[in-house]
Amino acid sequence: MITMAGTLDFLSINVWHILMAIGNLLILVLILKKFLFKPVQKILRQREEEIGKTYSDADKALSDAEAEKQLYLQKLDEAKSEADAMIKTASERAKAESAEIISGAKKEAERRRRNADEDIELAKKKAAEEMRDSISDMVISLAEQVVEKEIDPKVHESLIDDAIEGLGE
Amino acid sequence: MTIRLEIEVTGAKILLELPFGITITETQVNMWLVMLGITALCIWLTRGLKVKPTSKRQIVAEFLVKTAENFVSGNMGKKWLWFAPYIAALFSLALFSSLISLLGMYPPTSDLNTTLGWAIMTFVLITFYKIKTNGPLGYAKSLTEPVFIMTPMNILGEIATPMSMAFRMFGNVASGTVVSALVYAALAAANSALFGWLPGILGEMGEKLPILQLGLPAVLSLYFDVFSGVLQAFIFCMLTMLYIASAAETE
Repeated sequence: MITMAGTLDFLSINVWHILMAIGNLLILVLILKKFLFKPVQKILRQREEEIGKTYSDADKALSDAEAEKQLYLQKLDEAKSEADAMIKTASERAKAESAEIISGAKKEAERRRRNADEDIELAKKKAAEEMRDSISDMVISLAEQVVEKEIDPKVHESLIDDAIEGLGE
Repeated sequence: MTIRLEIEVTGAKILLELPFGITITETQVNMWLVMLGITALCIWLTRGLKVKPTSKRQIVAEFLVKTAENFVSGNMGKKWLWFAPYIAALFSLALFSSLISLLGMYPPTSDLNTTLGWAIMTFVLITFYKIKTNGPLGYAKSLTEPVFIMTPMNILGEIATPMSMAFRMFGNVASGTVVSALVYAALAAANSALFGWLPGILGEMGEKLPILQLGLPAVLSLYFDVFSGVLQAFIFCMLTMLYIASAAETE
C-alpha cells in the first residue's frame, strides 16, 4: 500500500513565492550583467579596438614605406641623370679640349714650318749673295789678270752682276 | 506477508514564517544559494581580465558570454543582443536549480511557484511585445480573430503558453524526484524482502543494509537530474526566446 502525504504542499501555489522567483531571476540578470557581461564585453571591445589600431598602424607603415621607396627611386633617378649629365659634359669638354690641342699643335707646326721655310729662303739668299760677291771678286781678279789692268768694280759692277745672274740660273 | 512502502512526496520544507503570510522555504533558500554560487563564479571568472588573455578563466568567461550572445542572436536576431543576460540568467538559474538535487538538496525548479514565476515573466514579455508591435487596439483585435466567438479560446491560448511552460519544467523535475523516491522505496522493500529471509542477526543486518539501492538510483539520477535538468532549462530558454521574438515580429 502506498501512502502519499503532503500532496497539497507538493503542488501549492503561493503568490509570494511566485514573486520571489521573478525577483530572484531579475536580480540574477543584473548580477550577470554587472559581473560577467559588462567586463567581458568591455575587454572584447578593447581587443577589437587594439586590433583595429594594429591594422591601421600596419597600413600606415606600409604606405609610409611605399612613399619613402618612391622618394628613393626618384632620388636615384635624379642622381643617375646627374651623373649622366656630368659624364656628358666632361666628355664634351675633353673632346673640345683635345680638338683645341690638336688645332693648336697643327698651327704651331704650320708656324714652325713657315719659319723654317723663311730661314731656308733667307739662308739661300744669303748664300747666293755671298757666292755672288766671292764670284764677282774672283771674276774681277781673274779678269785683271787677263786684261792685266785694274778693273774698277764700281764701273763694271752691272756687267759682272749680269754675268753672275746668268750663272745663278 | 505484506510489504509496506512508506513514501512521502512533499513540497519544499517551510523554514521560516514571516508576517503577512510570507514563508521562506527550501525553494527560496536553495535558489539564493544557487544565485550566490553563480555570482561567485562570475566574479572569479572575470577577475583580472586582460586584452591579451593569459588565463584559462578568461577564455571560459569569454566563451560563456559569446555562447549566450550567439544563442540569443541566432534565435532572435542581432537586434536582441541586449536580451542575452536575461536568457543567460534564466538558463543558469534553471540549470543549477535542477542540478542542485545532485547534492541531495531540494531543487527549486520542482516547486511550481518557481517555474510559474519564470513563465509569468515570459508571458509578460510576450504580451508587452505584442502590444508594443501591434498597438493596444491591434492586440485586442488579434484576440477576436478569426471570429468574435473565438475570443475566449484565444485568451485561453495566450494563458496556455506560460502555463504549459511552467508545468513542463515543474513536471519534469518534480516527477524525477517522485520517480526516484518511488524506485528507492521499492528497492528498499525488495531489499528487506530478499535479505529478511536470512536467519537470525544476518537477516536483521541484511534488511538494514541498502544493497539493492546501490546502482539503479544513480542511473536514474543521471537521467532525471542531469539530462532532464539541462534539457528543461534549454527548452525553457528556447521557448522564451522564440515566443518573444515572434511576438515582436511585425507582420
